[in-house]
Amino acid sequence: MPESKTLDQQDTIPFYPDHASTEIKVMVAMTVIAVIIGVIGLLDPVGLGPPADPMDTPAHVKPEWYFLALYQLLKYIPKTAGVIIPIVLLGLIMFWPFLDRKPDASRRPQRVRFAVIAAGMLILIALTIWGEVS
Amino acid sequence: MTILRRHPRLLGLAAVLLAAAFLLLAAASSGKATPPDAEAMPPPDSTEDFTRSALLRREIAPAERSGPAVVIPPKPERDPCLHCHIGGEDKGLWTPLARWTLFGGMGLVFAFGVYRSASAWITRTPWKPLTLRTAEWVDERYDISGPLSKALSKPVPRFALRWWYCLGGITAFLFVMQAATGIMLAFYYKPTPEAAYTSIQFIESEVRFGAAVRAIHHWAANGMILMCTAHMLRVFIMGAYKKPRELNWISGVFLLVITLVFGFTGYLLAWDQRAFWATTVGTEIAGSIPIIGDLALVFLRVGWDVAALTLSRFYGLHVIVLPIATLAFMGAHFLMIRRLGIAKPL
Repeated sequence: MPESKTLDQQDTIPFYPDHASTEIKVMVAMTVIAVIIGVIGLLDPVGLGPPADPMDTPAHVKPEWYFLALYQLLKYIPKTAGVIIPIVLLGLIMFWPFLDRKPDASRRPQRVRFAVIAAGMLILIALTIWGEVS
Repeated sequence: MTILRRHPRLLGLAAVLLAAAFLLLAAASSGKATPPDAEAMPPPDSTEDFTRSALLRREIAPAERSGPAVVIPPKPERDPCLHCHIGGEDKGLWTPLARWTLFGGMGLVFAFGVYRSASAWITRTPWKPLTLRTAEWVDERYDISGPLSKALSKPVPRFALRWWYCLGGITAFLFVMQAATGIMLAFYYKPTPEAAYTSIQFIESEVRFGAAVRAIHHWAANGMILMCTAHMLRVFIMGAYKKPRELNWISGVFLLVITLVFGFTGYLLAWDQRAFWATTVGTEIAGSIPIIGDLALVFLRVGWDVAALTLSRFYGLHVIVLPIATLAFMGAHFLMIRRLGIAKPL
């Protein structure tokens, strides 16, 4: 049974108008940020590099920042392994709810997960920065 | 006014009484056939006309007073009707009777009209704006207010009123922003190697607000990847993916992958050196997957090289396939959230 059905009146606030007003504020704030980005973009456009030329390979080829960590990893480990690792990782992430099925009894599992995530993100960010500066 | 509101007939009665009083007053004042200052005039002469109008006329032309007894007929220089009213000439019985009947009747009709208007105003149905009428027209046919009020009245648990519960919603909002700015860019973008680069230069330099739209699309794309990841980490750390929300998690992983593919395909569309070689390297990585590597490479590049067909394939994926896939998974994601509610933390 979904938890929300068993919640008391005191543990909730109405969606409309109480919570909807908060959501609208968030949306307005984001729109304002978008407009600021747009104004900055008008003054200083995102721009383009030199046009694509298949005959001329640049010295430093780099992907977008969110693939940079994987790219950096691939420089130092065999290519096949470097491709299989992310795919296996993605599969693990995808089916994690079926592997970790015990409901949390205390805060301990949360802390463990937080530590794992923090370590993983640190490695990822370090690889990205390394890829950016190298 | 409240007594009139309670008894609308009183208003009509008052109007009729008022009209009757006016009639009486008018009849009394017009009853005097002779002018009040007739005594001040000189004694009547058998040959002279002593009506008020004749005297007035005589005063206008004083030279005639001592002249011969022959009365020159006056020029009809005034409105004869007004003249007869001022002069108080005797018009007999039928003319005033016909006039009083006509104008009195019209007055009664007017009074009745006032009464009907007043009672219609008092007993009117409340005025509604056109928007409300339209909404009611639609609602009468398709019953939208029922499900809508049910959706809006769904309570939000207090534990979910924390900023880190916003991350998923921000991602969804950024997707809407990307859709809007992406459509604007698609109006001007040309997905061919010859035209792609110059069409983006055209967007940035010629199209009004084109540079702003491109900047928003560029930065919101990065923001969407960040927010998507942050949302996922929040859900993972708090253990919100556990039973009964496994499929929620899986649809979310699909959405993350779709977002990354969005970024990958969108990056090529600029068709500059960085985009071209990033795609070359990226598709090369996909090509080194064991067993299906070559298949993936050929699927992505449409051939062995990054060329015109690669660009149109990435464009098709970016503007048609991925948006539809995102909407499908997002719809499923949101419906499951509605069904199950927000996971309760420890």
